[in-house]
Amino acid sequence: MILKTNNLCKQYQHKDVPVDALNHVSFDVNEGDFVTITGASGSGKTTLLLSLAGLIQASSGEIRIMDFDVVQASDRKLSDFRRKHIGFVMQSFALIPYLTAIENVMLPLAISKGKKEQKYQKALALLKLVDLENRKNHLPSELSAGQQQRVAIARALVNSPTLILADEPTGNLDPSLSTDILNLLKKINKEEKITILMVTHSPLAAEYGNRKINLHNGCIN
Amino acid sequence: MNIRKLVWLEFKQHKSQLISGLLAITLGIAVIVGIRSISVVSEKAVAVNLDNLGANILVLPQASNVDNYYAADIDAPTMPEEYVDRIVSSNLEGVDNLSPKLTRRIKVGTENVVLTGIMPKNEITSKPMWQQSGLLGNDLKASCAPTNAVNQSNGYEDEKLKRKVIDSLGADEYLLGSTIARKLKLADGGSVVILGEKFKVSRVLNETGTVDDDRIFIHLRKAQELLKIPNQVSAIEIMGCCNAISDGLLSKLRNVLPDTRITTIGQIVATQIQTNKMMNKVSLIFLIIIIFVGGISIGNFMWANINERRKEIGMLRMIGFNKATIYRMILAKAFVLGIIGGLIGYILGTAAGVWLGPELAGLPVQPIPSLILISLCISIVVSLLGSILPAYLAGRIDPFKNMQEV
Repeated sequence: MILKTNNLCKQYQHKDVPVDALNHVSFDVNEGDFVTITGASGSGKTTLLLSLAGLIQASSGEIRIMDFDVVQASDRKLSDFRRKHIGFVMQSFALIPYLTAIENVMLPLAISKGKKEQKYQKALALLKLVDLENRKNHLPSELSAGQQQRVAIARALVNSPTLILADEPTGNLDPSLSTDILNLLKKINKEEKITILMVTHSPLAAEYGNRKINLHNGCIN
Repeated sequence: MNIRKLVWLEFKQHKSQLISGLLAITLGIAVIVGIRSISVVSEKAVAVNLDNLGANILVLPQASNVDNYYAADIDAPTMPEEYVDRIVSSNLEGVDNLSPKLTRRIKVGTENVVLTGIMPKNEITSKPMWQQSGLLGNDLKASCAPTNAVNQSNGYEDEKLKRKVIDSLGADEYLLGSTIARKLKLADGGSVVILGEKFKVSRVLNETGTVDDDRIFIHLRKAQELLKIPNQVSAIEIMGCCNAISDGLLSKLRNVLPDTRITTIGQIVATQIQTNKMMNKVSLIFLIIIIFVGGISIGNFMWANINERRKEIGMLRMIGFNKATIYRMILAKAFVLGIIGGLIGYILGTAAGVWLGPELAGLPVQPIPSLILISLCISIVVSLLGSILPAYLAGRIDPFKNMQEV
């Protein structure tokens, strides 16, 4: 088991009214799983994903990733953990506009030890994996939406993570590009043996996972 | 890719914003460096003047002051040369030497120079530095009267005669201050046209670090003729015995020349020191202003920059940059800003000092390399201080609130 949540709750205050975004969510994820998290808008999908990464502080409950206590960890330990073990793929690609494709891929390595050349070669290999080797010196603005998302996937892989958290990775892409990205994620899951948790509202995208978690009003259906 | 490169790339991305961010700190540093460059030279000049100026009493026209005298303006007041005779014939105890001078600012070629008419040997006798240039073989003690023996060796047998000015500079010869010699590219034996007349360089004087370095000296009579101010002088420098000055020589001189302004070098020096102190105070005030205005300006610039990059910083936090790394990035940028501000400020301030120094202080100003270090220190410290709060706030940026919109 690579990830475990136990009675995870997240409560917001919205205009003094408590809102249960996550309500006693418990589930396990095994190594190598491709889990899709589905649900209607406002069902708590993204809140769950961000809580798993420690980017949102859970109100109560437990999250353990590879025995690391996400809920109780300090900011510094959480940051280190994210950098070493988690890759992120976001709907909006989250690339830095003034860095080239290869510089964006190398970004998580900026605070890691290692030789410059080794970092460069690793980033280059990942750009090759996502078929963007020839666009390594292009800025995000010079790439298509699908290419930008592939750069973001390469960046998510650069630290050899155990887990990739993807939040609507195809949300900004047209259907054919969506298929490309989903196939790429599936390939990474299969060939690199990286566990993926993907939030999606698309039933088609949800079919790419080997497990589905459906959320409704903060609860697992 | 490392933090330094990331900071540098971000810098390049927003370089146009740098100008507004750096304006206050750069100008502040420039003003401090400019003032300091001038005041350091001025302080040195006072010290050198004090050491080298043999004459210690200055007689000026009533309507004049020391600034007028040194500025040598075209309309600076003059007084009759006959005043020299009055002093000589008064037989005042303690007056050991007299040096009447007529000074005017003129143009030689393209250079602005101060033309000074002198009574040569008298001038030489009253200035130890000039002694060293070899024009006269005997050393004199600074700030006090030469002994009789010294005067006798100069050929002054008669007590009254020894006080009389003696002409030893040819009518077509002139002495040249070291700085102006360099500017005019002249050496011993060279010639130049002054106010329509050709003169030969009698000697280029050794550098003294005083206003004399910027002057051309010709015979007083010739100066009066060329400047069309016959029988007039701008000042009479007197070498008075220190004890006699204490015993009231100044008041006795004022009785002899009631319509003149008589001051001692000590007073002049005191005035100059006062001016230097004022300049140092102005520097201090600017330092305080720079700390506040420069710090706020840098802080404002950094905060605007951070706000613009909220999503980017949120994304960095998401992929594993901890708060300390974000602080480091912001402060590294502030450090670079400080270096740029300090260097540009030093260059601008030094250029202003070199350019304006001769106009404002009447002295040639040289760049002071040690001010680079001070400029950098001030600029870096102010920049870092101004960036502490923005850096702290940047570290608190919530990743998840921003990352979906990157």
